[in-house]
Amino acid sequence: MAYVATRGGEHAIEQAERLYRAQMGTITPTRVAEIERALPHLIDRVMGEASLYAPDLAALALAQAGGDLYEAILLLRAWRTTQPRGQIAAPVRQEESLAHRRISAAFKDIPGGQILGPTLDYSHRILATGVVNGSDFVPPPVTPAAKPAPAHHPSLAAWQKAQGLVDDVAATPVERDKIPDVTREPLLFPAQRAHSLQSLARADTGGLLALGYSAMRGYGNAHPTVNELRLSEADVRVRHPRGTEFSAGRVRTSQAEVVTTRGNGTLKLGFAATLGWNEVKVIAAATLDLNAPGAPKNSPVNEEFVLYHTEPVEASGFCIHFKLPHYVTFQSALDNLRGARVAPQPAKAEEPA
Amino acid sequence: MTLAALTREWRAFSYGFLDASAKREIRRGLVKAVAIPGYQVPYASREVPIARGWGTGGLQVTLTLLNPRHVVKVIDQGADDSVNAASIRRFLTRVSGAAATWDTLAASLIQSRHRVPEEVLRDDQILVLQVPNPEPLRPVEPNMSIARQMHADADYGRLWLTLYEQIVRSGRVMHGAAYPSMVNGRHVMAPSPIPRWDVPKLHMARHLTILSAGREKRLYAVPPFTRVEPLVFDDVPYRVEDHAGLTCHRSGLKGYFMNEIPQDGGAAFEVSDSHLGIKAIRRRDGEAVVIGETWYRNGEMQR
Repeated sequence: MAYVATRGGEHAIEQAERLYRAQMGTITPTRVAEIERALPHLIDRVMGEASLYAPDLAALALAQAGGDLYEAILLLRAWRTTQPRGQIAAPVRQEESLAHRRISAAFKDIPGGQILGPTLDYSHRILATGVVNGSDFVPPPVTPAAKPAPAHHPSLAAWQKAQGLVDDVAATPVERDKIPDVTREPLLFPAQRAHSLQSLARADTGGLLALGYSAMRGYGNAHPTVNELRLSEADVRVRHPRGTEFSAGRVRTSQAEVVTTRGNGTLKLGFAATLGWNEVKVIAAATLDLNAPGAPKNSPVNEEFVLYHTEPVEASGFCIHFKLPHYVTFQSALDNLRGARVAPQPAKAEEPA
Repeated sequence: MTLAALTREWRAFSYGFLDASAKREIRRGLVKAVAIPGYQVPYASREVPIARGWGTGGLQVTLTLLNPRHVVKVIDQGADDSVNAASIRRFLTRVSGAAATWDTLAASLIQSRHRVPEEVLRDDQILVLQVPNPEPLRPVEPNMSIARQMHADADYGRLWLTLYEQIVRSGRVMHGAAYPSMVNGRHVMAPSPIPRWDVPKLHMARHLTILSAGREKRLYAVPPFTRVEPLVFDDVPYRVEDHAGLTCHRSGLKGYFMNEIPQDGGAAFEVSDSHLGIKAIRRRDGEAVVIGETWYRNGEMQR
């Protein structure tokens, strides 16, 4: 059976996997808990792209994948898709969620006020090298504000609508249980609004940033101004079998609303939201949402182009699939090349008119 | 009576990995795909525990069809022991309890990447082809919503035009694998990147072929006894790869699709359908091995 033995096969792939896992060693509950505690923003990013709000499972996926984000997201997505969909929670309304941070770049002050909340925006990015030399980095404690910020804020767009600056979108009400779900239905174009927003919420942060940034630099048709950026905690309101509504817990959410002044008399809005706190993602996604209407097919801000190419599981999977053998297709193309080389080239005069 | 007696014990995953709603969606899609040969049916395409682009479309169809009575064969580029084929086969048997085989004749369900086995498939066998790109119009129209419209209109003029341009520029059609083919006289399909050698095997075949692209979320089918006709001009016949005269340096088989193995000063060839090669070697060594009828004989397609 020399024919078989000379090839890799099952033994090889098993050993290759062991070699990879050996790098990480034993995964203990302590390690998973530490990842969850120490890396909240990584956990948020992974939960958003996996579209599964489960910090402990996200930490486990990160531990299991040794920090490879695409692997971690695939682990979570493959788990998520097998789980029954118990019910659909009530829509989250921004004025009802608990805002930790809420800023606007469009106005100096806004109804409800600018709330900085937790951010590294104005920090000096200096590596705490003391830790490498053996001393702890202890962040200075937060001084509570004399007057606590209000927990709930109206939406800025509501004020703008009242002022006639933003067109009130004629939204078709959808029954809560009939909200389309892109994880259970194919994404077709032109996409349903729910499918687009869900796809953006699940999209690859880096992919959205690359395309969103290209739009910001001028490959799009609208320059964004951040109308409102929010980091919140939202109640997940579900129905008890007896009919009462109750909160099953809170999830961290981010949302961004960007506007462009380019238009005829009114501001045009772009919107995106995701699970977890991930500001880069929602600003880039909202910018793409702003640019999508009317974008030419195959432009980098066209909806189909954006949504197909920022799907993290699909994009990363296809990229790494090129490692698979392709010798059948290669052989087939080689046959053509050799055939074309020996085939007599038609003389110029014989070329069809 | 307790509640526990009325329900099954909790398990982390359903039988065959996919949950019932995912399987139901795929079954419905399959019925539609068989009813409209060559038409690409969109489906949600769930994530599965292997990476997208590694056979997730084929896997979802196989997982939906599998039951413990099935005997499954998985090949990648013609080989059963190729690493990804081994991985998929291990997963399939693990979650379904189905038996596995390398022998085309013994299999009831064959999941394949880029090859149709050389032995003729029977009407009780199903071939599931993994598809990276289901859209034959992609080279002329990358936008999927426009391409969908073109299929609806049977608007294939630009495909014909590329074939014509290839003949003008290179003196021959330069399409390699995944040769665009008209199914049942209506829809042009990408027969997955099987070599041109394999496309005639799908024409009026006794077996059912299902093609599924997980990443692109499309499935389509060639039902038994359905016409599959590669796009060709009347005066420029369809040409399969020039492998009819090649001999496998291991098994001695001749007249099948080959892998070219570069060697010092030239190349050796080995038969791409690896288990056919193994059977030929065993027979040469005196074992009683059954080799089925093959689509090609002496390098010629039999009809």
